[in-house]
Amino acid sequence: MYRIRFHGRGGQGMKTASRILGSAFFLEGFEVQDAPRYGAERRGAPIFAYVRAARAAINERGIISRPDLVVVADDTLVPVPASGVLSGIGARTVLLINTTQNTSAWQQRLNISGPVITLPASAEVEDRADLPYIGATCAGAAARLVGVIARDTLAGAIRTELSALGAGVIDRNLENALQAYDIMQAHSGLVREGSMTSAIKYAHPDWADLPFDTARISAPTVFATANSVEVRTGLWRTLRPVVDYSRCNHCWWVCSTFCPDGAIAVDTDGKPVIDYDHCKGCMICVAQCPPHAIEAVSEEQAQRDTTTGETP
Amino acid sequence: MSRTLLTGNVSAAWGARLAGVDYVPAFPITPQTEIIETLAGWIDSGEMAGRLVTLESEHSMITAAGGAATTGVRVFSATSSQGLLYAMEMLYTVAGWRTPFVLVNVSRGLSAPITLESDHNDIMAARDCGFLQIHCASCQEVLDSTLLAYRLAEDTRVRLPVIVNLDGFYLSFTREPVEIPAADAAAGFVGDFDPQNARFRASTPESQAVAVLGGSPYSYFRYETHLASLNGLSVYDEISAEFSATFGRNHPAVEAYRTGDADYLFVMLGSFATKAREAVDRLRDAGWSIGLLRPRLLRPFPEESLRRLLAGRRGVAVIDQNLSMGKGGVLHGELLGALYGHPQAPPVVASFIGGLGGRDISAEEFYEMAQTLRQAADTGRTPPPRLLYTRDELREIRKLQAVAHQEREELHR
Amino acid sequence: MTGTKASIRRMKDLPSTHLLGTGTPMCAGCGGLQALHEIYDILGEKTVFVNAAGCMTLLSVYPFTPFRGSWLYTAMASSPAGAQGIRDALDILRERGELPAEEDLQVVVLTGDGAAYGMGLSATSGAMERDLDFIYICYDNEGYGNTGQQYSGATPHAAKTATSRGAHGFAGYKKDLFSIWAAHRPAYVGTVIGAEPLDLAHKIETVKQLRGPRMIIALAPCPTGWDYDPGESVNIGRLAVRTGIWPLKEYIDGKVVHTRIPRGRLPVEEYLKTQGRFAHLFAPQRDDALLAELQARVDAYWDGVTS
Repeated sequence: MYRIRFHGRGGQGMKTASRILGSAFFLEGFEVQDAPRYGAERRGAPIFAYVRAARAAINERGIISRPDLVVVADDTLVPVPASGVLSGIGARTVLLINTTQNTSAWQQRLNISGPVITLPASAEVEDRADLPYIGATCAGAAARLVGVIARDTLAGAIRTELSALGAGVIDRNLENALQAYDIMQAHSGLVREGSMTSAIKYAHPDWADLPFDTARISAPTVFATANSVEVRTGLWRTLRPVVDYSRCNHCWWVCSTFCPDGAIAVDTDGKPVIDYDHCKGCMICVAQCPPHAIEAVSEEQAQRDTTTGETP
Repeated sequence: MSRTLLTGNVSAAWGARLAGVDYVPAFPITPQTEIIETLAGWIDSGEMAGRLVTLESEHSMITAAGGAATTGVRVFSATSSQGLLYAMEMLYTVAGWRTPFVLVNVSRGLSAPITLESDHNDIMAARDCGFLQIHCASCQEVLDSTLLAYRLAEDTRVRLPVIVNLDGFYLSFTREPVEIPAADAAAGFVGDFDPQNARFRASTPESQAVAVLGGSPYSYFRYETHLASLNGLSVYDEISAEFSATFGRNHPAVEAYRTGDADYLFVMLGSFATKAREAVDRLRDAGWSIGLLRPRLLRPFPEESLRRLLAGRRGVAVIDQNLSMGKGGVLHGELLGALYGHPQAPPVVASFIGGLGGRDISAEEFYEMAQTLRQAADTGRTPPPRLLYTRDELREIRKLQAVAHQEREELHR
Repeated sequence: MTGTKASIRRMKDLPSTHLLGTGTPMCAGCGGLQALHEIYDILGEKTVFVNAAGCMTLLSVYPFTPFRGSWLYTAMASSPAGAQGIRDALDILRERGELPAEEDLQVVVLTGDGAAYGMGLSATSGAMERDLDFIYICYDNEGYGNTGQQYSGATPHAAKTATSRGAHGFAGYKKDLFSIWAAHRPAYVGTVIGAEPLDLAHKIETVKQLRGPRMIIALAPCPTGWDYDPGESVNIGRLAVRTGIWPLKEYIDGKVVHTRIPRGRLPVEEYLKTQGRFAHLFAPQRDDALLAELQARVDAYWDGVTS
């Protein structure tokens, strides 16, 4: 059975990617499961979708814990533990990353033994949440990596899955997906079917006998206050608002009030300070700043500049 | 101690009054309404402290009950039938809040067809919600069980809401002699409500009943509620023993009537079980070795007690005053689950459905069920489930149908 | 209510520190969260929020909460009844001397439009008829947002939603919840929007000093459900006011007063064209008839406004 996970951000079309690949497998005569994973995910938040494909009936269900292929549409997610990109990756798992960096850089950075393949980010866009057609592109690359999906089959799957979107959109997706398919030629068949969990030798689940806890402990009650700050919603951000303090008027009541998340604090000098751990990158502050002193920059660029010591 | 004639409804109201409830969110429904009218009368006249508020639905009523209990006051409410079902979402919800309070349900058959009379499908629908359930067979039990219910609900080993169930008409509107405990004795038994840390105060903010994401935390919270409910078995034994010592009335988790040497047993819930008790006496007069088991606790299910009490019998007749469509009697299935695989399990556990919508169960029917049991035990063959319904009744329904269909048939003639 | 001295008169007077915690799972650019955090800054932490099922149910997900005060999630239909139980219990404790005044709380219902305009309307009506001393905040994003923006009783005419995808969008009309609420003669009914924080602050300050049912509807521009870039939330909110689509008003002392009468009202299409949900009014061809109808309805509303 093939087990494939697609990781991206809400809005990048990971569900579409899983559906295109699922359809392509199906058209090739496979039994298929494809599904997105929904939770409290919002636009920009890390999400994933998955595909199973096998020649026989598929009995396995739910999240894929031991993937044969992991496709990452947005490389800023790779180092984020909460995104789960690296979850369950073994020596034979192929990691395909849509990135401008090269394979060895990723292998070194992640310290993993399995194959890492990069999909050269075809269109560099300012806002990663708007990555155009990336879902289909990822599906195209994945289709070639498994080596059992013909080019025409992939095209047919894209036409089926995107039929509601109109000819123009389908054509762009086809172009990108087939290009990705062709780029992966050298790696065709690299992804191999994984085995089923053996019943002969297996890791025994360490079941616990749940102790009775009084309602003081076992009611779903939170006694802390405002501890949601421990949740780093800054991870959702694909664009970063950056204040140019040389132009800032110190009219903090505008940006600080309008920020839906209350992620703009005011320091003692009346200077607005953006909390990047929590700013979700909505860019309302950029749109509302009277002297246009807040600029939107690509989060990826901003992070790269930060690690290289440059100030954005 | 003197006794007074009280209806089951007024007995329930007395239970609430003696428990010193602070708050009564209410909504009228037959045959429960007398309970809230009685409480409203006492509160208006100043005989009882507390506040009664009529909500606009049972769904809201249970929400308000949970809201007040989470804020730290003692709450009582009452409903019946359709009202219990209308509140169903909130029954599950407030049980998950782990808020103790007491709800009296006056059992009444469910629509459709709509009826006012009693059976247990309403309370069975609430079987899995997390509320504990005490089923009563007399007006005295209704009062006493309400006091017991507060102790059970508020015990730190439980902390769950409790339903006290009584049958519509057969108890709700039926007066029986009831001993009303002295106010100070009742207050002493029930004690003060300690909300512990489940309460809203400015200096100790808390977020109650928050959402979870994912099956793992969900499993924990749900299973803890189950464990708390199971704790109710031993807690109930403790407090009912204390009640017995204080008031001289014994209300065990399972009533066992003339079961000591009995080869055969009836198993029943609620007020109709007193009919079975009478039948046991008459059958014993006729030389039968027979008794009655009546679970008062349905949740938590007193599985061990029932298993022990049923062990070694020749045959058991479970008489369900409810009907799970497409399955049969609910108690019958639960009992079989408790008995399966136990070496001394009775070879015959027969299912009878009776008393739906308040339909009577006659003495002769109890005798006939006993005969059926004996034949089954002799042959070793369990009979198929039987609805208690006579040919006369069938003839009557045919007559009604003839009237109901008459006009249409004339039109088509 | 007269004689209330507002402490917030200019934008400068708005709070510079924010009480509601960051890190909530609301969408980037959420107009509802914007209104809530502005409201919370003024209501403060001596509050218990009673929530109905909707987007904001996810504000408190175990073990996290953004609130500095208290919270209770109830169910979709009955959060005003939850507020009733809590208020009554607090009153009982106050009367018994077991709750000092400084420990008391404002009880605040927080629901989306799905609950407020539909399933929860009966419970809301009941709470008002019982003169419950509470504040009700509806964040109105004009559809069942948390399930993917299906139309609700709050959806405006012609809007495309997940369940009104036809060529003309939603066939129904937005329910006038303000008037339905006001017909109950509660202490206060007001409309607000996060994009007009000064107007919002005045109203919440007023509400804070009143007793009885105090009802607030906050129009909540929703980038996800209305299909626009999240950075536009405030611009779109302002346009809702300036085109007259979202009248800022209050019902108080038995009278309805508009707190902002837009002078030189902009054409409604200035608002409509900013959102994907109305894109079918402009492309592939302009739907002049429908645009004229929408404009006429807004014009008719304002023709009847004298104060």
